[in-house]
Amino acid sequence: MKIIVGISDMRIGTKPDDVLVTYSLGSCIGVALWDPQVKVGGLLHYMLPDSGIDKEKAASKPFMFADTGVPRLFKEMYKHGAEKSRLKVYVVGGSQVMDESGMFNIGKRNHLIIRKMFWKNKVTVTKEDVGGSVNRTISLNVGTGEVILKVSGKGEVTL
Amino acid sequence: MSRLEEILNIANHIPPFPKVVMQVMKMLDNPEVQAADLAEVIQYDSAITANILKTCNAAYFGLSRKVSSLDDALVVLGHDILKDILITSSSVRFYKGGEVGAGYKLEQGDLWKHSVAVAIMAKLIAPHFKGVDSSVAFTAGLLHDIGKRFLSTFVADEFNEIMNKAHRGRQTFLEAEREILGMDHAELGGLILEKWEFDQELRDAVKMHHDPAALAREQLTALVAIANTLVISAGIGVGADGLSTALQGEGLQRFGIGQEKLEHYLADLVTEMDKAEEMLTLAD
Repeated sequence: MKIIVGISDMRIGTKPDDVLVTYSLGSCIGVALWDPQVKVGGLLHYMLPDSGIDKEKAASKPFMFADTGVPRLFKEMYKHGAEKSRLKVYVVGGSQVMDESGMFNIGKRNHLIIRKMFWKNKVTVTKEDVGGSVNRTISLNVGTGEVILKVSGKGEVTL
Repeated sequence: MSRLEEILNIANHIPPFPKVVMQVMKMLDNPEVQAADLAEVIQYDSAITANILKTCNAAYFGLSRKVSSLDDALVVLGHDILKDILITSSSVRFYKGGEVGAGYKLEQGDLWKHSVAVAIMAKLIAPHFKGVDSSVAFTAGLLHDIGKRFLSTFVADEFNEIMNKAHRGRQTFLEAEREILGMDHAELGGLILEKWEFDQELRDAVKMHHDPAALAREQLTALVAIANTLVISAGIGVGADGLSTALQGEGLQRFGIGQEKLEHYLADLVTEMDKAEEMLTLAD
């Protein structure tokens, strides 16, 4: 079944015919996790780096932010039998508009924070496609672990 | 006919913006206007009347009770909200149909969704802009990309060339449109709004919404440029042009908007969009 992950959302897929997909990642980041042994996948679409700006939203929409969303994604995966050592990890998105002042560099900051979190927690990224000014869509096939990246107007590749 | 002439021809033969709306907007400038007088004018456009009834119950507008007739709506709604609902109910006709925005690789409904998001964002940030009426901000946000609606088929014809140009070097998608087609969607939007007899302020804001120097321009122009840039960053209703646009962000200082505020507004946008479902389905 196709499971669509909206902005500021996260979903887990456990059936072999589940396909998790999230559309139109601009400066947002999509994080896909897959455990090849138990065949469980998770996909997160976060929009902002740090929940410190809005504690209320951090509570009601934890998947809006990297600092609250990423740990929850991992926890949900573990609940379904996934193990950290086996996880395939994909990071996609983090584009930004052209602005030399850096005021609108949300994509860059979204990427920076997840790199820091992964470094601190010793998570290795299997593949990533981040930055530039393109619009990305990512899907994860829970049965096979295939991750497809689509760049709007340019076509698809398997990561 | 050259391609540029063909594009200009579209602007010249654009279907009119519903007259009813322009008339009611003028009536609403008078704070003493009676609901019955407004209903008298609006009821002649059945599509708008139906859309008003669909839209006004959206949680976004926060009415305390459900509205079921036009007369009822006009009594319950404040003038500011009524203006937003009117413009939403009447603009959507231009975003309906088979393949709106297909030239930009947008799915049906995406261009409308993007437009509603920019209108909502424009209203959220409006308090930072001196002398800008929040309903005008909403209207400008809703109509800023109307040029895309009509330039789309021309973009489709030259898609590969525009795409190649836009992603080589530091040229934006809009600059590539202008270079290859002789006209970009922002300029075309400005021409369309002129045909529709919108105010100069609004026409300029639409025409300049991708100008990298927009934040140094008029208040409404800066407002729309910021709202659009944020919605594009969030990836809402964005196609092949992606984030290929430029804006000199240092100009945000002038409006007292820092990075944290920008993020705050993005967070608010997500929850406001959740409440605007009825508006989004109008284009289905």
